[in-house]
Amino acid sequence: MSRPSDAAPSATTARAASRYDTVRLSHGSGGKLTLELIEELFVATFSNEPLKALTDAAILANPGGRIAFATDSHTVKPAFFPGGDIGRLAVAGTVNDLAVMGATPMYMSAAFLLEEGYDMSELERVVRSMKATADEAGVAIVAGDTKVLERGHGDGVFINTTGVGFLADDVLMGVDQVRPGDKVLVNGTLGDHGIAVMSRREGLDLAIELESDVAPLNGLIEAVRRVAPNVRFMRDVTRGGLAAVANEVVHRQAYGLRVFDVAVPVHELVEQYSEMLGIDPFLAANEGKVLLIVAPEEAEAALGAMKAHPFGREAAIIGDIVKKPEGVALVETAYGSRRVLEMPIEEQLPRIC
Amino acid sequence: MVEATAAPQAGTGFRPDTYKDPELVARLQSRIAELAASVARPVKLMHICGTHEHEMGRYALRDLLPKSVSVLAGPGCPVCVCDNEYINMAIQLSLEPGVILASFGDMLAVPGSIPLAGERRGDVRMSLLDARARGGDVRAVYSAFDAKRIAEQNPDKQVVFFSVGFETTVVAVAAMLKRGVPDNLSIIEANYYTPPATQLLPDLEGFDIEGFILPGHAVTITGLRVYEGLPTRGIACASGGFEPVDVLASIASLLEQIDTGDLTVANPYQRLVKYDGNERAKRELHEVFELAPIRWRGIAEIPASGYKLREPYHHASAARRFAGRLDPLALKGAEHPKGCRCAEVTLGQIQPDECRVFGQLCTPDSPYGPCMVSHEGTCRAWYTYGMHKEQLRVETV
Ligand code: SF4
Repeated sequence: MSRPSDAAPSATTARAASRYDTVRLSHGSGGKLTLELIEELFVATFSNEPLKALTDAAILANPGGRIAFATDSHTVKPAFFPGGDIGRLAVAGTVNDLAVMGATPMYMSAAFLLEEGYDMSELERVVRSMKATADEAGVAIVAGDTKVLERGHGDGVFINTTGVGFLADDVLMGVDQVRPGDKVLVNGTLGDHGIAVMSRREGLDLAIELESDVAPLNGLIEAVRRVAPNVRFMRDVTRGGLAAVANEVVHRQAYGLRVFDVAVPVHELVEQYSEMLGIDPFLAANEGKVLLIVAPEEAEAALGAMKAHPFGREAAIIGDIVKKPEGVALVETAYGSRRVLEMPIEEQLPRIC
Repeated sequence: MVEATAAPQAGTGFRPDTYKDPELVARLQSRIAELAASVARPVKLMHICGTHEHEMGRYALRDLLPKSVSVLAGPGCPVCVCDNEYINMAIQLSLEPGVILASFGDMLAVPGSIPLAGERRGDVRMSLLDARARGGDVRAVYSAFDAKRIAEQNPDKQVVFFSVGFETTVVAVAAMLKRGVPDNLSIIEANYYTPPATQLLPDLEGFDIEGFILPGHAVTITGLRVYEGLPTRGIACASGGFEPVDVLASIASLLEQIDTGDLTVANPYQRLVKYDGNERAKRELHEVFELAPIRWRGIAEIPASGYKLREPYHHASAARRFAGRLDPLALKGAEHPKGCRCAEVTLGQIQPDECRVFGQLCTPDSPYGPCMVSHEGTCRAWYTYGMHKEQLRVETV
């Protein structure tokens, strides 16, 4: 994992910050200030050849195979939360979207929508965090854009990232590859991000020692695929949590997905606070979790590979694919009773009492 | 007597995991089966707390009961019983210039009785979310103290806290008011007291419930004495906690009473509930509030079942403060939207899937009646946990 060589670029960005300590409308107008911001912050920090060229489009090498292409826009409140920030989120989110398709993420663009008056040093922290995460994932941020919205018309910072990855022609994954008897795995505790971010929301401010799981998962996924080449299906578990992914898997399929309640890893604090807030950890958001469906004979190997990776220490086999009921995701409790794992409806909000 | 005192309490408080223990659950399950066999006829029980419905769904506890024992949901969801008068009041106030309406998130999507103009789905009513979409300043808060903070931060605005709920929420409001609040804060008084409603239930035609699981949170405050009238009317009572072991222990206690015919108000949830409740909280509560008649949505006006501010606190009553600005006609109105059977659901007279629009016109993402909105609403819990779907028989390879 290569850390960014931050020293030189941050020296230059520090100078930029001293000129303007907040974002101005002219930073997005395409004039002198825009160029300054691009050169001294974005190019200096993201630091790669295609970007340095400052051409209208980045010209990139093509390693062959099929192209995976994904985009995602990011907004999170607060922008800095325990365990991460919007910058890490924006990079990891797109990396994970590509990686779960079996692709190797390589290039990324970053578009910023900044609100006039946004704190320049905060923007620098976000950008440095993006660079660090991109280095960690081995992707280069090769194109970008900045627009500034009038004060009151934005919410600090929005980031859109678009990513390109490559995948071999023989990679075959999808819900149609899934068979009854397959095992369902996750790479660790569920709901950490949702509860960690919520704990810092205005009006709640719970001082809990819980960190978001936000992380780029391409390394972990590669490690799994080396030992379990026939992974049937992968999906990153994000908003809507486990419940959303499980339901996406079974939707209109001739099989069901069964989760064993007690097998699902949930951090003690998540358990505690979700109970207090009336939130279901199975529905809470994650930013560094992947659900895998693996042939039964490869399940143990996949589990072992995850456990050996820093982002998979608490990986577990949490369930299986069943013949019946069809098209249903269900939870089997420790008592043998069963319930439906319904598709989440709305954002999880704390309950009254 | 069956008690949910499965393990000694740890020094730092109880360990909830003990009360999820599969072995204990299995033991209680067979005890319940034994008792049900001994009673030897169908028995209907009722809980009166939305959290119970939610937990029963989450752990699929009904799956663990013998066919002859059913547990129905009673009037235990504060969001569902909150009369539309208060919802309409909140909506009207939120649309007043200079007013910030602070509400628990659960209340935001509950329709009152003001028709939603331009709505195509039929008789759809306005909620606080609709008010927000029309420019109302509606904020979701987690407690009364958040509303107080908003009032302090916005001295030039009027902040109205929509005070909904049973004892657990109203004690916090009482504590806050007693300690003093900024002049620009007032509350909508929509807090309910459950015991009078439970006394009313046995008078309903066709009422055949034989036991109540009492709401574990509320009785930590009110205590159990207030339910003593029920056993004399043929209804067994037992306090009920919220972990699987707690719920099953309450059910076992009720069946035991029914089996022996020795009806009482039992306290299997004694690790948290004292028979006389929390004296200090009660004292503070009754210093600030007094019991008065209140309408339970779609059910009836029930005497002495609502918490209203006492005279020295009238200044904090939103209904009084804004009396001149509220449109009294618009406050009242048809209680439930046409065809919504929430009242019957709330009284345990029908199950949610007997409502024609359940899961069709009425779903959690587009609730038609109040019982589909809150997580504690019976219709919502049924939908979320698929209780309307046929038993989940699993077939593996
Ligand atoms: S399903 Fe909807 S309309 Fe029917 S009773 Fe429940 S809340 Fe009312």
